Amino acid sequence: MHILDLTILEIHQALVEKRITAKELVLESLRRAKENKDNAFEMITEEEALRQLSELGEVEEDNPLWGIPFCLKDNFSTKGMETTASSNVLNGYTPLYDATVYQKLREKKAILVGKTTLDELAMGGSGTTGHKGKTYNPWDSSHTRQVGGSSCGSAVAVSSGIVPFALGSDTGDSVRKPASLAGLVGMKPSWGRISRYGLFPFAPSLDHVAYFTRSAADSAILLSVLSGRDEHDATSSFKPVEDYPSYIGKPIAGMKIAVLNDVVNTISDKVVLDKFNKSLTELEKLGAKVDRVDFSPELLGAIYAAYMVISCAEATSNDANLDGIKFGPYLGGNTYQEVMSNARTAGFSELIKRRFVIGSFSLMAENQDVLFRRAQRLRAKIVERANQVFEEYDFIFAPAAPSIAPLFSGNSDRLSDEYLIADNHLALGNFGGFPSLTLPLGFEDGMPLGVNFTGRPFEEGKLLAMAEAFESVSGLSGLSVINRKGEKL
Amino acid sequence: MNFEAVIGLEIHVEMKTASKMFSSAPNSFSTQPNTQVALLDMAYPGTMPLVNKQAVINAIRVCHALHMDIDQLVRFDRKNYFYADLPKGFQITQQFHPIGSEGYLDVEGKDGKLKRIRIERLHMEEDTCKQLHFPDYSLLDYNRAGVPLVEIVSRPDIRDGTEAMHYVENIRNIVVYSLVSDGKMEEGSLRCDVNISLRPYGSDKFGTKVEIKNLNSLKNIEEAIDYEIKRQNALLLSGTPINQETRRFDEASKKTILMRVKTSAVDYKYFPEPNIVPIRLSDSFVEDAISSCPELYEQKKERYLSMGLSKTDAEIILSDLDSASYFEKAAKDAKSAKTVANFLIVEVNGYLNKNAVGLSEFPLPPEKLGEIASLQEDGYTHKQCVDIFNYLLNNDVPVEQARKSLGIEKQVEDLSLMLKAVTEILDANPQSVADFKAGKDRAKGFLIGQIMKQYKGKFNPASLNKMMEEELGKR
Amino acid sequence: MEKITLELLKDAAHRMMFDMSESEYETLLGEFATLTKQMEAIGKIGGLDEYEPMTFPFDVTVDCLREDVPEKPLDKEEALANAGSKLDGQIKLPKVVG
Repeated sequence: MHILDLTILEIHQALVEKRITAKELVLESLRRAKENKDNAFEMITEEEALRQLSELGEVEEDNPLWGIPFCLKDNFSTKGMETTASSNVLNGYTPLYDATVYQKLREKKAILVGKTTLDELAMGGSGTTGHKGKTYNPWDSSHTRQVGGSSCGSAVAVSSGIVPFALGSDTGDSVRKPASLAGLVGMKPSWGRISRYGLFPFAPSLDHVAYFTRSAADSAILLSVLSGRDEHDATSSFKPVEDYPSYIGKPIAGMKIAVLNDVVNTISDKVVLDKFNKSLTELEKLGAKVDRVDFSPELLGAIYAAYMVISCAEATSNDANLDGIKFGPYLGGNTYQEVMSNARTAGFSELIKRRFVIGSFSLMAENQDVLFRRAQRLRAKIVERANQVFEEYDFIFAPAAPSIAPLFSGNSDRLSDEYLIADNHLALGNFGGFPSLTLPLGFEDGMPLGVNFTGRPFEEGKLLAMAEAFESVSGLSGLSVINRKGEKL
Repeated sequence: MNFEAVIGLEIHVEMKTASKMFSSAPNSFSTQPNTQVALLDMAYPGTMPLVNKQAVINAIRVCHALHMDIDQLVRFDRKNYFYADLPKGFQITQQFHPIGSEGYLDVEGKDGKLKRIRIERLHMEEDTCKQLHFPDYSLLDYNRAGVPLVEIVSRPDIRDGTEAMHYVENIRNIVVYSLVSDGKMEEGSLRCDVNISLRPYGSDKFGTKVEIKNLNSLKNIEEAIDYEIKRQNALLLSGTPINQETRRFDEASKKTILMRVKTSAVDYKYFPEPNIVPIRLSDSFVEDAISSCPELYEQKKERYLSMGLSKTDAEIILSDLDSASYFEKAAKDAKSAKTVANFLIVEVNGYLNKNAVGLSEFPLPPEKLGEIASLQEDGYTHKQCVDIFNYLLNNDVPVEQARKSLGIEKQVEDLSLMLKAVTEILDANPQSVADFKAGKDRAKGFLIGQIMKQYKGKFNPASLNKMMEEELGKR
Repeated sequence: MEKITLELLKDAAHRMMFDMSESEYETLLGEFATLTKQMEAIGKIGGLDEYEPMTFPFDVTVDCLREDVPEKPLDKEEALANAGSKLDGQIKLPKVVG
């Protein structure tokens, strides 16, 4: 096992104790990135990584991110480095500025080694729709299973041991679902907690900067660095940034957990149910109060449709700037309309176009009441119901996905309750801007399973304390493909 | 049948803030294309809008001047459409919750009476980029993209071109004097679109609406509307239906000309802007915006009248922000505002016209003009004062020094000669004296005029008037 | 809402400034059928109309605005660096009419 396979905190310790140098660490990370066969990268940023290494200076004992290699999903703006969001419509686009989160990580002297693949423009959950094709689940060496999306490449980069953390974005579950399928901690904090400036928008009212780590403690470290008001993002929160790492290790006795009965009831996989139920017993042993709560199958079952309508509607507008005129391939035409149409017809995949039509249709004056505004009303009702639960409980808890990573060839019944509820309930966290975290539960057939905790807005600290306690239950902190741990459940 | 015109106006005003509506790019005119551009103005992915505080203050000031209700929760929406000049593929505007609603403006109608025009809404939005058209291609300049705008939409209360012209003139005065905009129609910083339809008198239904665009002067607004009323009237009388269409005004022929027939309305797929959290304006923010607003046109006019200026003089001075500002500085320590106004309107404007320059290039500081006008009040003749004025145009010296250099001395008044003249004229005109006693003030003017003619400006008019009144009183 | 047809979808796609293959329109028609069925079901959820359409995840307002202070604009060359069609420091398009 290499030091790179450890958590941020463990690697930091090794750097401080000079058991490894930052250069050795980053070179190993770059080597692994180049060897990776899962289609995780849009670009390996070797030149930039080496440049940053050369400016690194002495190890900073109080800065756990010093010299730590990391990846960014390729929908974060990076000055001077091509950023395509895995869409042909942005091929060759070289941003003129850095996303706020990238700037913050650079200031902490973390080192960017790669920009990772995604479902095109972050719209999708399979990791198959980017312009470089399918991204594979590293836990399945036969390359038959999805890693999930849209932050597929970042999930691969962390779970396959290339980097100890990577940034993604989460509009429906685009970090938290792949985290479940790849055995990672996937954190999506409250809406407004982390600046979105420089994140290519998909649906701003649902978009969040989110990230993968291998432990809850690492998640806390990153949250302290990434959070905070940003003058470039008017939706970023003024709420003070807490000392999140101080929550790690806090007892969870007395914390109240609402298990989403409606989700559990739709899951058919016995292994998932068995491990999940065992975890409840263990949480109770730690002093948590665990109740099974009926949320509303009707409302949960409606999340997917409402999510599609809202996110596609916002996306049609956000991506209207992608017309080949200011950036992206210019394909000519006899009129300006032809110029736009040529660029967009060639630039977007068919899936994206279908979503744009759905979104555009939902926003038409004659359809808004029955599509867009109806979905927004449903969103309000669902969030109200969630807030009712949060009046009594600190967390909503459920399996993050109904099963291990699906096969590429798999075809889920898109109208089944299992699909509609168990496969899509994580968007609840986006609807209400709730902090929400996925982490490993155990394994089935050698593939990871995950659970999800969702908490009240801006109570990330408590959520991280619960996540760390859960790691003691699962025995799965610091998990990666190279560094398989013994599961407890 | 008799028809009445139903006219509504949409006015777009470019604000002269330091930065743009949602980006920090400078909001300044440049002849160099694409040099006043920030990332957001070119819709670079991941950039986000940040609402300009001064733009909101400006909007509040205009709302207040138009007696509007101000929505203290400021919200924005997206107007979605594709066009060459629209970088983001949407415009950020305030469709659902305009900052101002339900106001009015009283304007002078054709008959000289005031008429109330209701105003439906005022909202903030951003301008598009500028297109330059050539025979085979068009070029895009993003300097204008994101410039802050207010749009003011009237109710269809306007009935003719004169009302429309006065309405726009009043709005222009408001935005110019509140320093919200330079309000130059010919340069496009104030743009006016007209909606006009005709209906039989007494009807409360609306006829088919025609839009007139690209009106770039007050006069054009009046002429275009009056022409369009005649055109539609003739069509209706001949039984020809009106087409829903967009027309433009041709200055040469003074006619409106068809631009395009309107097809079905464009669906802009409006929805709330998710990247701008609603902004709560405190009461004190709104109050400060209003109370710190520079003095508006109408207030200035009131004040000038109370300073003794005639309505005409006040309006001439107020026709231009620079001249009003020059006047106020000149009149500040002067003995008579009216005399200052006379010098400004006759002497100063004469110089400006002759030399084809603006006030910014006028050599005489306003304080000196005030001193010159005060000399006249002190008993120097108007002609002497004009000589000093002309000397100072070419010599940067104190007023007192100019007077001495020119050897100008106050004419010492020969009061005994004046008394002699008054006594003689009163003795010679008993009928005028009787008329005066009977209340005819004109008689006094006649008597003074006789003396002035005979003595050719030897006496100071104010002193002569005073003595004449005293002597008349004794009779 | 009017009945969704292929023509309607094609028009919507063209208004979004792109075209799709015939088979994709067919797929889309199927997707619409599913989605509208779901949205109709949502419409029947009791009391839904009493809720205001939600744009932001939670009630949030701010009281701050950006100060009106201009910053250095983009360098002209830089601003247009990504544009594929340029002339004399401006973006060049086929002649825009109407």
